[in-house]
Amino acid sequence: MDGVHDMGGMHGFGTVVETGGELAYHERWEPRVFAIQMLVGVQGLGAGPGGRPTREEMEPAAYLAASYYERWLYSAEQRLLRKGTIAPGDIEAMMERLGEGEAMPEHRDAAMAERMLENLQTRMPMDPAPEQARFGPGQRVRVKRMHPPGHTRCPRYARGAAGVVEAVRGADRLPDRAVYGEPVDSEPVYSVAFSSEELWGPSDEPGWVVSLDLWETYLEAA
Amino acid sequence: VSDGHGHHHPRPSSAVELRARALEALLAERGLVSTDAIDAVVELYENDVGPQNGAKVVARAWLDEAYRERLEADATLAIAELGFGGAEGDNMVVVANSPTVHNMVVCTLCSCYPWPVLGLPPTWYKSPPYRARAVSEPRAVLREFGLELSNGVEIRVWDSSAEVRYLVLPMRPDGTDGWSEDELAGVVTRDCMIGTAVPSARGPATT
Repeated sequence: MDGVHDMGGMHGFGTVVETGGELAYHERWEPRVFAIQMLVGVQGLGAGPGGRPTREEMEPAAYLAASYYERWLYSAEQRLLRKGTIAPGDIEAMMERLGEGEAMPEHRDAAMAERMLENLQTRMPMDPAPEQARFGPGQRVRVKRMHPPGHTRCPRYARGAAGVVEAVRGADRLPDRAVYGEPVDSEPVYSVAFSSEELWGPSDEPGWVVSLDLWETYLEAA
Repeated sequence: VSDGHGHHHPRPSSAVELRARALEALLAERGLVSTDAIDAVVELYENDVGPQNGAKVVARAWLDEAYRERLEADATLAIAELGFGGAEGDNMVVVANSPTVHNMVVCTLCSCYPWPVLGLPPTWYKSPPYRARAVSEPRAVLREFGLELSNGVEIRVWDSSAEVRYLVLPMRPDGTDGWSEDELAGVVTRDCMIGTAVPSARGPATT
């Protein structure tokens, strides 16, 4: 989906290096929301296309105004609502209770904590690369022109650009369909190198190379 | 940032914090999410999983040529040799700097990052300026970090658009002959392994 999350090459956001930017987070609720979002997944409490595609569905101005973990809060809430685990108004009602000074409820379940930590250790490698992939290292490919309305891993800035396959990374299910629960076979994922000139046109700086990992569906022979 | 008892804050500092606490409270009250499971995840990434893991990988690669070869051939396996792996580290690729190539890593669409070796990403890595500019003006971004590369060094930017997660293997700095693995790991900062810094024998210049 061509939303504001697809930021490669956008202008106007200012400087990267800012005071406090080196920290992973600044407030205690932030890593707790991170953990809750993971638990919503592991405990099967949510529905919809997963946390990341859900965050991409945020209204663009709201996405940009939100901090990183506010977006995670949004996706956790949306997924819980879609499953019916919580109902509209539940959070606001609890905010009111906490705002009136009610103690924070706790729930102890050491086994859930263990399952969560085990889950974080679980390996989920891509499938191995097929012996007969359509493209091979050294081959020139072009990223298709496309305008997908849903989740995609094909950034806008690469569309229409030609690059060179450097490696077949493995095989994986196309996220554009898989995140919506559609049955889809895995397909090769290629590391494709693009020259800066091809992506951005001429520059006063010496040229650089940008590599992306792209599913075969995104590519055509060039 | 680490008071270890964030869920006991008596007075929320913002509307979003109150909302976050309300979500946790709701799920705890209904017995759906355990407070200790949340604590466990937070503590894991605060205490056990962070750039110290990646620094061990880099130091080992500097000292052990056979390890370096395994790392470049199959980084996921080689990193697992040191006991690191799991979520967001299932498909690792190590990209090695050389006198003519400098690597840097970004995720323009999201903020994908190799958690098992670097922990949770710094705020700047997740910020719109880095996600926007790392691919379109990497030299300007590196200059902001105080890293000025000569024109003869080619920059390679790795946009983590699929499930591969990248770790930069920096060059071993001059002046570190005879150093132990721990001493070497001590100069390998997080930013060196993202590619926005290079290590120095004088120690960390930046985090």
